Amino acid sequence: MSRIKRLYNWFEMRLQLEGPVKDAALHPVPRNTASWWYVFGSAATTLLMLQIVTGILLGLVYVASGSEAWKTLDELNHQLYLGWFLRAMHGWGSNFMVAVVLVHMAQVFTFGAYKFPRELTWILGVFMLLMTLGMAFTGQVLRFDQDAYWGLGIGASIMSRVPVIGGALVDLLLGGPIIGGATLSRFFALHVFVIPGTLLLFTAVHIWMVLKLGINDWPMPGRVVRRNTYLQEYHELSHKDGVPFVPDALWKDLFFSAAILAAVAVCAFVFGPYGPGGQPDPTIIQTAPKPDFFFLWLYAVLSYLPPSLETPFVLIAPVIGICILLALPLVAGEGEKSWHRRPVAILVLVTVAVSWGIFTHLATFTPWSPIMDAWSGDPVPPKLIHDASPLVRQGAVVFQAKQCRNCHAVGGSGGMRGPALDTVAVRLTEDQLIRQVLQGGGNMPAYGKNLSPPEVTALVRFLETLKPDGQPPAIDATHQEQKAQNAAPQQ
Amino acid sequence: MNVRGFCGSILVLCGIASLGCNAPGKPTAGAEAVRPDEVKNFSKLYSQNCAGCHGADGQHGAALALANPVYQAIVDEGTLRNVIVNGEPGTLMPAFAQSAGGMLTDDQVNALVSGMRSRWYHADAVQGLDVPPFKTDKQGDAAHGQQVFTSHCASCHTTGVQQQNAKASSITDGSYLALISDQSLRAIIIAGRPDIGHPDWRSAQPGHPMSDQDVTDVVAWMASQRQKTPGQPYPSQP
Ligand code: HEC
Ligand code: HEC
Repeated sequence: MSRIKRLYNWFEMRLQLEGPVKDAALHPVPRNTASWWYVFGSAATTLLMLQIVTGILLGLVYVASGSEAWKTLDELNHQLYLGWFLRAMHGWGSNFMVAVVLVHMAQVFTFGAYKFPRELTWILGVFMLLMTLGMAFTGQVLRFDQDAYWGLGIGASIMSRVPVIGGALVDLLLGGPIIGGATLSRFFALHVFVIPGTLLLFTAVHIWMVLKLGINDWPMPGRVVRRNTYLQEYHELSHKDGVPFVPDALWKDLFFSAAILAAVAVCAFVFGPYGPGGQPDPTIIQTAPKPDFFFLWLYAVLSYLPPSLETPFVLIAPVIGICILLALPLVAGEGEKSWHRRPVAILVLVTVAVSWGIFTHLATFTPWSPIMDAWSGDPVPPKLIHDASPLVRQGAVVFQAKQCRNCHAVGGSGGMRGPALDTVAVRLTEDQLIRQVLQGGGNMPAYGKNLSPPEVTALVRFLETLKPDGQPPAIDATHQEQKAQNAAPQQ
Repeated sequence: MNVRGFCGSILVLCGIASLGCNAPGKPTAGAEAVRPDEVKNFSKLYSQNCAGCHGADGQHGAALALANPVYQAIVDEGTLRNVIVNGEPGTLMPAFAQSAGGMLTDDQVNALVSGMRSRWYHADAVQGLDVPPFKTDKQGDAAHGQQVFTSHCASCHTTGVQQQNAKASSITDGSYLALISDQSLRAIIIAGRPDIGHPDWRSAQPGHPMSDQDVTDVVAWMASQRQKTPGQPYPSQP
């Protein structure tokens, strides 16, 4: 017997792992579960491992203190060999992980895999999703730049709206009433110890259950799940027409995990690390903080809600959402698994996915907030003023100086709070333009008190030139009528 | 799929990454957002604060072309600094210094001034030419100014309401004159606006460059055209 074999035996005799591992590896699974649809869970696990490894490496350098955090990230980006790549891997790994977890969840939902006997697997999974999102959020805070700072501010103000205990919750979250030194330490502890520890534990139990209960069989219309017959049916399915988990199902998992890792590496290589953006200093007001990708939808939803609905929405909707997710397998633990027979479930999934996509897209640009430096930074398109009269050109200066540009785009740049004005002269007559400028309306403030008559005149002259070549300007029909009447021979 | 090829390409990628050469994602030096009040880079400062009115490269903007070499030749740094710091009260040129309610520090104002000078100032722009000074204390003579207008400007500009066939349009519109300062008019007449086709003091009437007196007088005449209540939208109805 070779030395290695002896060593192995020495350990095996004491650990006795061979049996369970072999069992787990070779347990039969239904043939059609060895499918490309079943690879997301293992990919999520792989990404979790990647995050842990890169996270530990980052932890060697990172200093969780308000004054140092930003500097250490800067050092990673520029001074440490491949430090930037490490940050990029961790950042993109996080994005991929959230995405893969969501896809995994959608797949499990579509395939009805949460039904008996896998209810608890799903419920744990819901908590794991929450923890993954928690990791993404706390990770964004550790970056401690402007986005982190304001994101935290928003988080805290959401907390503070909880009735009665709001103040205490904020204290708990921030380590005091305001974002300070204690805040970052808290989030460091959460991000590095509390959440990952729990997440790992949950992951272990989650996987244990997958092994014990078997991989969900491919849903077939008509193969209905019933509590008293399912286990028997599944056993037959996996033993009669089954394949061993290793290697028949595993190689696809491995391949997909490798591909995902490669994708993370490519993204990290090409797009680089996230930030750090501007320094987290509340006195810097020239900033438009945005949350990271996966919270963008929330940012858009909050912006569109009327203020009176914000608090109820923010406090009640997540609770309801989570309760629904948790209750799902308990309420719908039996019945059809196939998507062909679950139209409502599929419609709900599609609706959620589409609205999520739309809100995320909306939040990538911000039509509802002005661009605060467009007035001084976005040039008036030269062709608009090249052949204009001095008065019109001066009107363009008024347009900039009074910051109309912050809300109105011209030539594709400027704010989107109000309509773009490239064709405004086609829509509004001179009188209407003057009225709109002086009195405002439709969410636009009235400028009557802030503009002198020459400014209004210049501005309106400029606006009157804003129309595409060859299109007639808007005309006032009553003026035409008047003219026609005047021209008509008097009798 | 060719697994070996795939793995190979990953290896190559990692190889490139570990060399760190030209990785598109590698942050360039200074890529992190600096504090807005610590930006000292001229291009950035200019494009955030001035381009909106003065044009992307100091020309083709709605307000005066700062990149015009003749303008840069007649103006001095003190004036530039003062205008940026305090704006031009009574006009649409805002004050930018923190001391005057703006957002820029003194260092940033200096960076703007020296940036403009190093980019747009050419020592030889008006060398050997008799160019009227940027500022004057002289009193203008409006009556003579009107003659100068007729001889130097009327070939292109009209007075009063805009005419269809004129090459350029009215420069005595009440609202226009109410919004622009005499000093700015003087700068435009002397330095011209090459970007929009308005000639400088030499070529308004080719062969007859304008003298200091001519410029002062035209400005005085234009100033005399200012109205008491400019910009009433319906001038005919009091
Ligand atoms: C809101 C529009 C606006 C912005 C933004 C703006 N300017 Fe001006 N600027 C003007 C106007 C209008 C004038 C002409 C004022 C007058 O009539 O005297 C002017 C005039 C000037 C002058 C010439 C003064 C003179 O009499 O010769 C300088 C120099 C100048 N601006 C520099 C700047 C710089 C530098 C910035 C950026 C920091 C800037 N401006 C930003 C509108 C603007
Ligand atoms: C060769 C033709 C020509 C002559 C001569 C000329 N200009 Fe102009 N001027 C222009 C053009 C072209 C413009 C730009 C288009 C416009 O404003 O209508 C212009 C614009 C102006 C402007 C507005 C600049 C701005 O920034 O909006 C003023 C003021 C002006 N001219 C004054 C004068 C005065 C005063 C004279 C006589 C000393 C004069 N011009 C002579 C062609 C001319």
